[in-house]
Amino acid sequence: MTPATVPSTDGWRVSGRVQRWAIAFIALFALTGAMLLVRPQLEKVHVALLFLLVVLMGSAIDGSALGLTMAGWAFLFFDFLFLPPYYTLGLTNPLDWLVLGSFLVTSVVAAQLLASAQQRTREALARTLEVQGFSTLGAETLNAAEPVQALAAIAEVIRATLGVDSCDIYVHRGRDADLELLAHAAAPKAAKSVATAARAGGLLAWVGGRNEMAVERPDGTASVGGTMDEPSAGARGERQSGWALSWGEIADARAIAIPLSVHDRSVGVLRVANDPHVDLAPGQRDFLNALSYYAALGVERVQLSADASHTAALRERDRLKNALLAAVSHDLRTPLTTVKALAHTIVERGASPGDANAISIEEEADRLTSLITDLLDYSRLTGGALLLTPQIESADDLIGAALASVRGILQTRSVRVTDDEGAIMLLGRFDFVHSVRAIVNLIENAVKYSAVDAPIDIGVHRVGDRLIISVADRGIGVSERDREQIFEPFYRSPGTPATTHGAGLGLAIARGLALAQGGDVTYAARQGGGSVFSLMLPAAEQPALSE
Amino acid sequence: MLIVDDEAKIRSALRQALEREVGTIFEASNGRDAISIAEQKRPAVVIVDLGLPDMDGIEVCRTIRAWSSVPILVLSARTDEHEKASLLEAGADDYITKPFSTVELRARVRAAVRRSQMAPVPGSDAPIVIGDLVIDTARRVVTSAGSDVHLTPTEWGLLRVLVANAGKPVTHERLFHAVWGQAEGDAQLYLRVYVAHLRRKLEGDSYRPRLILTEPGVGYRFVLTT
Repeated sequence: MTPATVPSTDGWRVSGRVQRWAIAFIALFALTGAMLLVRPQLEKVHVALLFLLVVLMGSAIDGSALGLTMAGWAFLFFDFLFLPPYYTLGLTNPLDWLVLGSFLVTSVVAAQLLASAQQRTREALARTLEVQGFSTLGAETLNAAEPVQALAAIAEVIRATLGVDSCDIYVHRGRDADLELLAHAAAPKAAKSVATAARAGGLLAWVGGRNEMAVERPDGTASVGGTMDEPSAGARGERQSGWALSWGEIADARAIAIPLSVHDRSVGVLRVANDPHVDLAPGQRDFLNALSYYAALGVERVQLSADASHTAALRERDRLKNALLAAVSHDLRTPLTTVKALAHTIVERGASPGDANAISIEEEADRLTSLITDLLDYSRLTGGALLLTPQIESADDLIGAALASVRGILQTRSVRVTDDEGAIMLLGRFDFVHSVRAIVNLIENAVKYSAVDAPIDIGVHRVGDRLIISVADRGIGVSERDREQIFEPFYRSPGTPATTHGAGLGLAIARGLALAQGGDVTYAARQGGGSVFSLMLPAAEQPALSE
Repeated sequence: MLIVDDEAKIRSALRQALEREVGTIFEASNGRDAISIAEQKRPAVVIVDLGLPDMDGIEVCRTIRAWSSVPILVLSARTDEHEKASLLEAGADDYITKPFSTVELRARVRAAVRRSQMAPVPGSDAPIVIGDLVIDTARRVVTSAGSDVHLTPTEWGLLRVLVANAGKPVTHERLFHAVWGQAEGDAQLYLRVYVAHLRRKLEGDSYRPRLILTEPGVGYRFVLTT
């Protein structure tokens, strides 16, 4: 692995590797020059010690590579300039080889030792920061009341721990790949990073969409590709890095975009940016790897909480819908009550020439009432405001209540009810009121589309786990192509007499009410002419009675 | 009679529709007035609209019922069956849904007044005669066209509660409680089954009941068609 290009953390920060190497060489040349001036007064041990100092300095400022390079050059200078004969590599005194050899070994070992000690210090420091970061993160995430605040805290911890200018978390909104900036943490000096990030929107969308990371460079170019290691894999020590982009590509990045995913589902993108470069040590990259999983969990929490409040909002909307429909129902029915009662009183007094009109007023008020009922019921069905109370009910009660409520419109028309031969009674599990309404609508439909004196046949049967109530008429029937359309709201089949009342909602409501409780309404042509509409409801078993 | 409704037009329409049925008609536009008029004037019947400005109609029912047995008829613009059931539990005798026909309203009012004028325990002594059906709750005998109809103890229990409340809707819950003691899990199912049994024994056509009517979503009503 390539040595880290991270500056030493001891405060003597030198930016750029070239500068550090230049400084080391300048120090070496300056020292060599200075020693040359006083060469006659110098002992071999002085030279060796001073050169060792430069080697250690090289090792200290840029790791063992510079230290070893310094050792090599110092060895040559020592031999060439300070051990006789001067300006040759040969030596007059063979013991000087021992001095030179010792110097080389000492400086190499010292350089290595110093470098590795420094590396350890840096690592220890990094670990400390990571641990601090994680504990801060845990506390922040637990403390934040709102998931969005927790996410903002995660972004800030990532930013502070990595020492970068900004850390942004983008989240997928809805099904499309659009990303929304949900958390933004920036160092005070870096205010422009958001604007730059906006320009990189396409790249971020790519990262989120493909679940692969990307880097942005100061010149506007970008490299993409590669996935991170599974961030939840715990063994951080064994895994040097999850980057698939090579370190060289990342080294000059001004921003890194990392996909965030939970359970293989992409939830958003994390973007860290720093001016001019994002410099991350291997430990920091691992740290970022692990933190990005925290961020992903934070994002998921935001989404879950959004879902939850969405559900609550829907529930509240349903409640309002019900309340509104009840209020509308009240406001429409109340004046009709007055109209009906007054019209009836006028009819009874029977003294003025307006009597016939008064009868019409009462009839029209009834018509209006049934239209309003239809429209309100239809609104409840389509608006999801239908309240269902399914209970064990008997077919006897159901048919009886339906026939009682259509008594007015049946007048002299005969209705036959037939049921399963030998069946004592049939039971089902359904909402009684809504089922009565469905049957009433079917009977009204039969009345509307058949001759005034044509009988209506109602059948009550059990087939498998369904209770079937059929309403058969000897009316005009329904043409082949209209058979599904008749259940559409406001549909009127061609040839419907213009005098037929109603909004064209009866069958739509009947079917809607049946479907809502696990049943259905179907149409079949009747043998010998006419229609058969069948209401199907879930059947229930008869109990074994003790007496 | 007392009419309680916050809308003057409805009160006026109801007054015109009912003035030939009953004697003096008092009007109240809110719950508080309604309660005080009911206390002072002792009307024979009270008609209450559910939506009152100062208190819920259901509260008016409960308050009046606490000290009076005057029949209470509730006018409701809503078709919510749970609400109807809770009205009956709160002490209302009957309900009628807006917009209703005048004929129907008069019939309900007349029935309510008649019930309240009957003996303290209606049907407890004299046998009830409906067509060729005779129900003698005192002797626990039912005859149809002269021949005995055998009823099981549960069927008897059910019939007794219904007859005692003849003309009024009786909620499912009240029937469970009266017959089975408590509304246990299967009571709902048993109630449907025993009502069907009763109808088959007492009525000609169980799909067109004339005695035990179904009040959709609320309960049953025993009708005395004399």
